[in-house]
Amino acid sequence: MNTAPKPAQVLAALLLCGLGARAGAAPSYPVVAAQSSLSFVGTQQGERFTGVFRTFDARIDYAADDLPGSRFDVTIPLKSLDTKSTERDQALVTADWFDVAHFPAATFRTVGMRTTPGGVVADADLSIKGRTKRIVFPFTWKAASTGATLDARVTLDRLDFGLGGGEWADESTIGRKIDVIVHLTLAAPAPVAPAGKVNGKLPPKH
Amino acid sequence: MALRSTAKGWGPVARAFHWGMLLLFLGIIPVGYYMTDLPLGLAKLKIYALHKSVGLTLLGLAVLRLVWRLGDRRPTLPPMPAWQARAASAAHALLYVLMFAMPLSGWVYNSASHFPLQWFRLVNLPAIVGENKPLAALAKEAHEVGALVLIAIVVLHAAAALKHHFVDKDATLRQMLPSKGDRR
Repeated sequence: MNTAPKPAQVLAALLLCGLGARAGAAPSYPVVAAQSSLSFVGTQQGERFTGVFRTFDARIDYAADDLPGSRFDVTIPLKSLDTKSTERDQALVTADWFDVAHFPAATFRTVGMRTTPGGVVADADLSIKGRTKRIVFPFTWKAASTGATLDARVTLDRLDFGLGGGEWADESTIGRKIDVIVHLTLAAPAPVAPAGKVNGKLPPKH
Repeated sequence: MALRSTAKGWGPVARAFHWGMLLLFLGIIPVGYYMTDLPLGLAKLKIYALHKSVGLTLLGLAVLRLVWRLGDRRPTLPPMPAWQARAASAAHALLYVLMFAMPLSGWVYNSASHFPLQWFRLVNLPAIVGENKPLAALAKEAHEVGALVLIAIVVLHAAAALKHHFVDKDATLRQMLPSKGDRR
């Protein structure tokens, strides 16, 4: 097997390095897991229920004055879901729903951020169960004495991700709209990446 | 038409409660045993929903029936040995207890399992306890044991009625049957 990188692969690697360097420009805020939550609200048989993902990995790079250098990158192991009902949790990991055996994690990656009259929104690719959908993700960023908080609420259509297709598609038993509620408590960002100093550049200031 | 019971027989309201609830009981019990082994899926969810809806109906009827019975009289018992009369009374008392205990233990099990409760897709009912796994397990156990006791008492009750009718040839069963005879 030929292991030498092809020119295209070299080019791709260089591009990725370039993107990485650019994305690293905004400070990276560590998530305080104990004070953060990723929850969702669905409707079952006429009643709302709340679930949480007990674990998730989030890389939050953000600077209000450097939206191109900001990015959110979140990976959610789906078997960490908890809706406070053993039966429902067991059902949600099966092939009809998250199909955790084949698709263990969901990912959320911003592809850009922009300022709108209502505030900053991110455009992001959300991948669940092998299906990727570009979503608009409005969020509220509040600087704290140390770190910051990030709050967001988006409504998803579960059928966009093949969650509960077939017989479950009829929403009289399980509603189609799912509200996802994000609350992140973020610690003070780590010191600016040393790579910037090596090159003699300071982080952009506006 | 007299709605109340008389010395000679149960009135139409008491009979309607008795036979109507028996019909629902004959439906809900097999469904209860059938549904638990179904694989997870929409069918299971819907059959559980039906079981719960009928159970809630039975609970509502039990309340109305008890209220009615407290204001109603009872027909005179045909002559029988005292132990039989006492056994009949005990069985009836136990049936009344189970009429409440069965739906309520189901409701506790449902609430403690953090499941929604809807009556025939029309009304949602509140949880009567908070989410609590050990309590859910206990309520489930009570519901299962209660079902077995209820089936046993119903069989005993029916056997006794048939014995009165065919062996003793007395009016016990006819007092409850929707027949013309022996009503007053």
